[in-house]
Amino acid sequence: MKRKFCVIDKIESREQNFDKLKDFLSKGDVEKMYRKTIWYNSLLNAEKTCLKDEKIKKIHYKFEDGREMVEEYNVDTKVLLRRAWKMKGKLGGEGKWSVEIGDPIPETTPNADAISIVESKDQPVVLKRNTRINIEWRIRNLPYPIETYSIKAQNDQKLIIISTSNKKYYKKLEVPELVRLGLSIDQMHIDATHKYNTLIITYKKPQQLLDMEREWYAELDKIKPIKDIPNECQTQ
Amino acid sequence: MASLAAAQVQEVRSITRIERIGAHSHIRGLGLDDALEPRAISQGMVGQKMARKAAGVILQMIREGKIAGRAVLLAGQPGTGKTAIAMGLAQALGPDTPFTSMAGSEIYSLEMSKTEALTQAIRKSIGIRIKEESEIIEGEVVEVVVERAAGGGGARSGRLTLKTTDMETNYDMGTKMIDSLLKEKVQAGDVITIDKATGKINKLGRSFARARDYDATGQQARFVQCPEGELQKRKEVVHTVTLHEVDVINSRTHGFLALFSGDTGEIKSEIREQINSKVAEWREEGKAEMIPGVLFIDEAHMLDIECFSFLNRALESETAPVVIMATNRGITRIRGTNYKSPHGIPLDLLDRMIIVPTTPYSHQELREILNIRCEEEDCQMSADALTVLTRVATETSLRYAIQLITTASLVAKRRKATEVSMEDVKKVYSLFLDEHRSEQFLKEYQDEFMFNDGSGDASQLMEVSQ
Repeated sequence: MKRKFCVIDKIESREQNFDKLKDFLSKGDVEKMYRKTIWYNSLLNAEKTCLKDEKIKKIHYKFEDGREMVEEYNVDTKVLLRRAWKMKGKLGGEGKWSVEIGDPIPETTPNADAISIVESKDQPVVLKRNTRINIEWRIRNLPYPIETYSIKAQNDQKLIIISTSNKKYYKKLEVPELVRLGLSIDQMHIDATHKYNTLIITYKKPQQLLDMEREWYAELDKIKPIKDIPNECQTQ
Repeated sequence: MASLAAAQVQEVRSITRIERIGAHSHIRGLGLDDALEPRAISQGMVGQKMARKAAGVILQMIREGKIAGRAVLLAGQPGTGKTAIAMGLAQALGPDTPFTSMAGSEIYSLEMSKTEALTQAIRKSIGIRIKEESEIIEGEVVEVVVERAAGGGGARSGRLTLKTTDMETNYDMGTKMIDSLLKEKVQAGDVITIDKATGKINKLGRSFARARDYDATGQQARFVQCPEGELQKRKEVVHTVTLHEVDVINSRTHGFLALFSGDTGEIKSEIREQINSKVAEWREEGKAEMIPGVLFIDEAHMLDIECFSFLNRALESETAPVVIMATNRGITRIRGTNYKSPHGIPLDLLDRMIIVPTTPYSHQELREILNIRCEEEDCQMSADALTVLTRVATETSLRYAIQLITTASLVAKRRKATEVSMEDVKKVYSLFLDEHRSEQFLKEYQDEFMFNDGSGDASQLMEVSQ
């Protein structure tokens, strides 16, 4: 794990010599920029509860504006596995969880009458994954070869836009991680591969984000996990 | 070449699906001019000028939306256009004003108490206009496929292909969605939006790319550009939901139980109170607007005394809609009591109502109505046949005469005539009895029917012995 960080440092330094220089000049300020962001502060001020379930640590955040978020971390790798937001309808009713990072929560099979309209099973689905050094999108069910896609960073709207030359697929990907820290999207960091009907887009996390994630994980260690885990689901 | 033309004609016919014709499907409004004066014949309405004028005043009252909880009674003999006036009012109000139509006997159910059914009907008649961000699918229809499972009667499955200038996606549809797609007559080339949460379909127009395709689109077709970018967007839309719908959203049991719970059932009064206060809050903040609508209760004499006293109370609430009732009874027993009252409605409720009478149609008006129905039922009728039919309508009833239109046209078709003649009408008149002639017949031959041999006592005995 340590080695990986060094690799990034090297790349960063090669590509952004100027930034490195600036770091030298006022190292403390620039590096800890994220501490001043609204996002980091709202995380700090949120009401947090922690549940530890063997290899997974679940954190529930209740923000001051009433929103709710849940994060799941792998305890061994310290990587964020899933982040979901509770979406509340204006008209009330029980909200649904909308997954920002990680696998979607499997829904209980709704009866055929209840569903009005859904994408067919064979249509492209976007999955967002978080790895140690990359933000990763996997778009399944995309059979077209790699030349078809054009992937562009659009900084006006803070989006990554995927379009296809055959006009079959078009998607705007949001990168809330970068937006929250006020960072711009760099075309240089975007990489894409196509394999087994899946388009994989990776975005290399900038140093700021890596620092913030590392620090935030350390911060989470301060929260005591709740002892009485409901164990009704465990066998025996 | 000729076969090609024939094929095209075939195609045009398949596009405009044939709609079923209901008893009041010819009514498109109240037939009033801008000053709310009734026109003699307009929007399917004929005669009944005073009642229509009164309905026009009520229409104005509803549109202004200030006055809550008024009740209107449409009273008149059978077949004098009470339901037609209510339907016309609904049409004139437009789709944005909630209009709930029910029959008085609908409230009697084993699953729901009478007052619950009435409360739901009342709350269905009050709309709230609210801005909400929701998931919208916006695109041009490429294909609509509806498949019926083999074996008949089974579940239907549907597939919808939509595209924008940049992408294309297939969607699976549930039965409700298929129904509303068919109702909106969505076809390939239409640009539509679908609200993913509510399933509401909005037709924006036809795509420019299809502008040359059909001559059959008609003049009212609006042409729009095919949308760009992603099919699915988050958009702020103005919804009109009824209070009842908000109740349902908030009362559904969730999780595991949702699988077993049916549609609504009864809704707890606490939930309703909660929602009322929430709506009041929204209105104060200017987030929502209330649209009081209309509750129409046909055959109101079928309500019983409990419902009437419940209505008395419910009408006093600030959030009550305008309630329109229709009845064809004179002085009769109030259901659930032994008291008699005009229209079968207790005097205290009658006192809160404004009563609009409808009167029997004149000879000329009957002719006009029959003429309109002939057009609606797509039936060519000769002038003398119409005269005969009008006479039938005056002597028996308007409903019976209307029944004869399609039957006569079928008889005419069988002898390969394009127009219905007097003979056809006479033929069906002899084939089908009206209520009066049937009664005559029964009186004459009563003795030969079952259980009618001898005196009334004997028949009762027989029933008992069974």
